[in-house]
Amino acid sequence: MSKHRHTEPPSDLVLRVKALESLLLEKGLVDAAALDILIDTYENKVGPRNGAKVVARAWADPAYKTRLLADATTAIAEFGFVGRQGEDMLVVENTPGIHNLTVCTLCSCYPWPVLGLPPVWYKAAPYRSRAVHDPRGVLREFGLELPEDVEIRVWDSTAELRYLVLPERPTGTESFSEDELASLVTRDAMIGVAKATAPDGTAGANT
Amino acid sequence: MPALLAKDTTAQLRKGGSARVATEVPAKFAPGDRVVVRNLNPPGHTRAPRYIRCKTGTIDRDHGVFVFPDTHAHGKGSSPQHVYSVRFAAREVWGNDASPRDAIYIDLWDDYLDPSQE
Repeated sequence: MSKHRHTEPPSDLVLRVKALESLLLEKGLVDAAALDILIDTYENKVGPRNGAKVVARAWADPAYKTRLLADATTAIAEFGFVGRQGEDMLVVENTPGIHNLTVCTLCSCYPWPVLGLPPVWYKAAPYRSRAVHDPRGVLREFGLELPEDVEIRVWDSTAELRYLVLPERPTGTESFSEDELASLVTRDAMIGVAKATAPDGTAGANT
Repeated sequence: MPALLAKDTTAQLRKGGSARVATEVPAKFAPGDRVVVRNLNPPGHTRAPRYIRCKTGTIDRDHGVFVFPDTHAHGKGSSPQHVYSVRFAAREVWGNDASPRDAIYIDLWDDYLDPSQE
């Protein structure tokens, strides 16, 4: 019996993307090399490791943290993290009594220079509608149960400001270097759906 | 429309395109002011989410002057005006099933807001 090898046709979505790309190229609206640079930038160069460096410095250097909370755009630019979807930044600080959560209910606004492109769930209707309506339920689904006496502040970034959450520094990390601290900071902690945790799993004060 | 060329791409990404403008416009509100979101239902573009219309909140901070998307998106001018972070209690927006502690902060333009009569 001969073994046929078939090539499955690509999915509808892949076909649609390919069709769009060839149209844009044929009409001269897109430069293929520019497209490669855009993809390379957000696949390989710009992502949540940028934001983690900002958070780690804020934990390690009180003067930097003061600058970051007073004028986030300028303080983040000290790292060279600037540009599209990060033109006007605000950093909101988690404390033992306050937990911040970010969402864009109207679309998918997100601070690209520090976090890269948003995850699919961040752009999806369930997260966008429920983050403002039932933040405690959403956080519970992410595995984060917050006590009733912690105030949750949901930041709906429907205008021109882009938000980054400054998580609480995990306890027991006093001797950590800035690089070691940065390794504890996840994308989800900077969106506000998680906490930063030490390697042994301990987080900040309000867990 | 000319294509974005490879040689300009990285510079364009780093430059970005802020909607903040240097125009001096008087602010209608100050931090601490109580405001109510207008009952706006425009047929076109707006950044006032429906769930916040007619709700009362407090100006938390003034972000400065920005282009107004509702007119700008339709080629009717940039109408620069102040954008504020406005704090709404979760219970004001969702009723008494919501947490008494939680709050929503939304960035809203002057033209979305009236002084609260409360």
